Order: sequence, then C-alpha cells, then structure tokens
Amino acid sequence: MSEEFEPNIVAFLCNWCSYAGADLAGTSRTHYLPNVKIIRVMCSGRVNPLFLVNALQQGADGVLISGCHPGDCHYLEGNYYARRRFMLMHKLLEHVGVDPGRVNMSWVSASEGAKFADVVQESVDKAKAAGPMDQFRRRQINW
Amino acid sequence: MVDVNELQEKAREVLAGDDVRRLIGWKRGTYGYEAAPTVLKDVSEVDQLIFDATCVQNPASFITLEEKRPVPRGQEPDTRKIAVMVKGCDSRAVVQQLVEKAYDRDDVIVLGIPCRGVIDRRKAEKLFGESTEPVVASTNGDKVTVEVGGEKKEADRKDILMDKCMRCRYPNPLVSDFLLGEEVEKWADDEFGDVDEFEKMIPEDKWKFWDEQFSKCIRCYSCRNVCPMCYCVECVVTKTRPQWTRRSTDISENTVYHIQRAWHLAGRCIECMECQRVCPVDIPIMTLNRKLTRDVKEMFDFEPGVDVESEPLLACYRPNDPEEYIM
Repeated sequence: MSEEFEPNIVAFLCNWCSYAGADLAGTSRTHYLPNVKIIRVMCSGRVNPLFLVNALQQGADGVLISGCHPGDCHYLEGNYYARRRFMLMHKLLEHVGVDPGRVNMSWVSASEGAKFADVVQESVDKAKAAGPMDQFRRRQINW
Repeated sequence: MVDVNELQEKAREVLAGDDVRRLIGWKRGTYGYEAAPTVLKDVSEVDQLIFDATCVQNPASFITLEEKRPVPRGQEPDTRKIAVMVKGCDSRAVVQQLVEKAYDRDDVIVLGIPCRGVIDRRKAEKLFGESTEPVVASTNGDKVTVEVGGEKKEADRKDILMDKCMRCRYPNPLVSDFLLGEEVEKWADDEFGDVDEFEKMIPEDKWKFWDEQFSKCIRCYSCRNVCPMCYCVECVVTKTRPQWTRRSTDISENTVYHIQRAWHLAGRCIECMECQRVCPVDIPIMTLNRKLTRDVKEMFDFEPGVDVESEPLLACYRPNDPEEYIM
C-alpha cells in the first residue's frame, strides 16, 4: 500500500460547452489528470442530483458537474436550474457528513480547455484530501 | 381553543351540502396521547369529531390519497369536494399542494382551526407514563392540562408540546374557507438554533451521528407515507427501473434513501414533523429537513407553503442565485 491514493472522479459534462471544453483540452494537448471519468449529458440541467449520490454509492470518490456559463446555456436556462439543485444538494451532503470537497460544480465553456484541466486538478486535489469514499459505498457481495 | 359544538355544527353544515364527498378531521383515539384522524362520509358520523391538543396528525396528508378509478361508461366522475380540517401548520401543506397543482382550490373546502400547540406523545409518556386510555388535553396560557383516566395533570408548555409548536410562526391557518374559533396570537419565532448547533460539528462527527441514526432505519417508509408532500403515484424509492436505491437495509442504501427523501422535500417541506413523529426507531428526520429549510430561506429567500401564488422553488430560478461553491 505504498502507492498514493488515486481518487475516481465522475464528471457530468454538458454536451455544448464543457464536453467541448474537455475536447479542446485534449486536441490542444493540454495535460489533465486521468482520474476523471467523463459522462456526457445534453445539459447540466439534465443531471439529477441523485446521480451524484448514486455515483458516490457505486465507487466514485468525487463528482463533478460542469455546464455552460450562466446565460450561455444552449437551452437558455438549464444551467440556472442545475445551479439551484447543486447548491442545495451540496449543502445536504455536507450536512450528512460527506466531505464538501467531493461534490464540485464548474462553469466551463467550449473555449476553456485550460480551465477544464484546472478544474479537474482541483477536484482531484480535494478528493485526495478527503481520502477514499467509504461512508456509504455500496458493499459488493460475491455470492 | 375552538368549541367542539361549534366545530361539529360547522362540519354538519358542510357535510350536509350536495357538493361535499368526504370530510377529514380528528376523532378521539383508542388509547394514548394522540387523537386519530378520521374520514367522514355521512352527517350521522359528525358527533365523533373533536379538536384539542392531542390532534397532532396532519389531515392534509389524506387529501391526495383518494384513488381516481376509471369511471364506467355512461357514468359521470364524482366531482364533489373534499372538506378538510386544518391547523396552522397543516394549512401550509394545503397551500404547498395547491402551489404544486396537486388539486384545484375548488376541489377542497378548508375548515381552518387556529391552534395553540399540540402535545408530543414521546414527551408526554416521559412525564406521565404510558396511557391505556384515550387522553384529553387542552392548553391554557403557558400550561397544558392533560386528563389521563379522569385524573388531571398539568405540565409546562415547553415540556410537553411538539418541538414544532415551540417555534410555530403560523398558528392561524393560511388558507381557509371557514375559520373555526378565534385567531390566536403568534407566540414564537424560528431562529434555526438547532441547525446552527448541528453545523458546528466537524464532518467526521456528523457522519458518526448519521451512521448511527441511519443504521437503525428499518425502511418501513412510514416517513414517506405520512408526508403530505409525498403524493407521487410512483415513488422513486419503490420503482425498479431505474432502481435508485436497493431494498436491503444496510447503511449504504439507508443513507441514500434518507438523502433522497430529504432532497425531494427541498423547498417543499412545511415542517409538520409528521415524519419524525411516526418513525418507529426515533430517527431525527427533521434535522435533515430543517437544514434544507434554513438553506432555502437563506440562499433563495423562499419559504414553502405560505403563498398560493408562488412558484415551486426548483421550478424557477433567478439569474443572481448564489453560486459560491461553483468553480
């Protein structure tokens, strides 16, 4: 166990901005950490906050939601709804005792490849500081 | 406190009308410190109705329970109204259900009853022991008189009333067609001191607390079933496609169940405390709900169940909503 703990981050990126931003980071050869596992959704407003809980339950050490900047949403207002939901879910998980660093949200536009790399770095750092997620991870039973 | 004769008189008058199908109210329980909710269909049953400090249940939970069966060909659906008796806190549930368009305002007749607080069974049993007979209780000033088996006992209001009553800001019904009894004066305010106290804990201690509490949960879903706001036809915890939470009662699934329950009440919980009252294993469920209520008030300046004209919290937004955690 001499190896350093490498957290798993599940990222929900919106199709129009953040996914394109991550793509830009890739095509412009910006290095970003491989801990992040990306799930593409059509809008950050598509992300049910229960996705976060489910991800944490099934083995993620941290989660990241990323969408267009406020006002830039492809669907005009999806990220505003996402913001309200995220703020409340963040507070709720913090209240239950989940380290607040595990739950992150960011605004990344399609032209912000470098910002995406930074956001991933910051999420990984926070999750590393919080350590492995073992509070309510689902126990796998091998019958 | 409303006079029982006046209450029954009004109920008789309402139920006798052609446009009323049922009346939901309270009757004397069979034993213990709690009355029993009752659904009346006929004027002859009106005599059992009561209202006193033992009427803790929230009748608004029952309005949405009516099953809407398909009507046979040639028959008209029953469009008569449902009459419901509400205390101040229960009326907030009615308001919130109206905001969410669970039913139309014309579908219900609300009989509002100003309330001076209701007693907490757990506190009362600690003070006076369990009772095998139905208890009569009334509030007068700062005292609560409890009549157990013909014997009168008195207790301080803060020792025996529900926690919600000691921070009640709406003792008078916010929505009512008929107001029974005189309006009472507001006696308390809500500072959310209990939430602040809990917030002081470090994350490890919070989790230790919830680990212990959630481990007790037997997943009877009483808290969901009794909640006036939980009226979805298909609930997220019972559906299997997708299966959000498994049915096993381990700490992982229990935690997720409670997070889901609290989350689905974010900006909707009207703090009637029914969930905590019915919990068979004494989980402090309201601690989660109160935290969200506080945050909703702080961040979005919103209070559920107060204004019929308001929009549901998570179905609207403001461009300048707070976003301090967003990178």
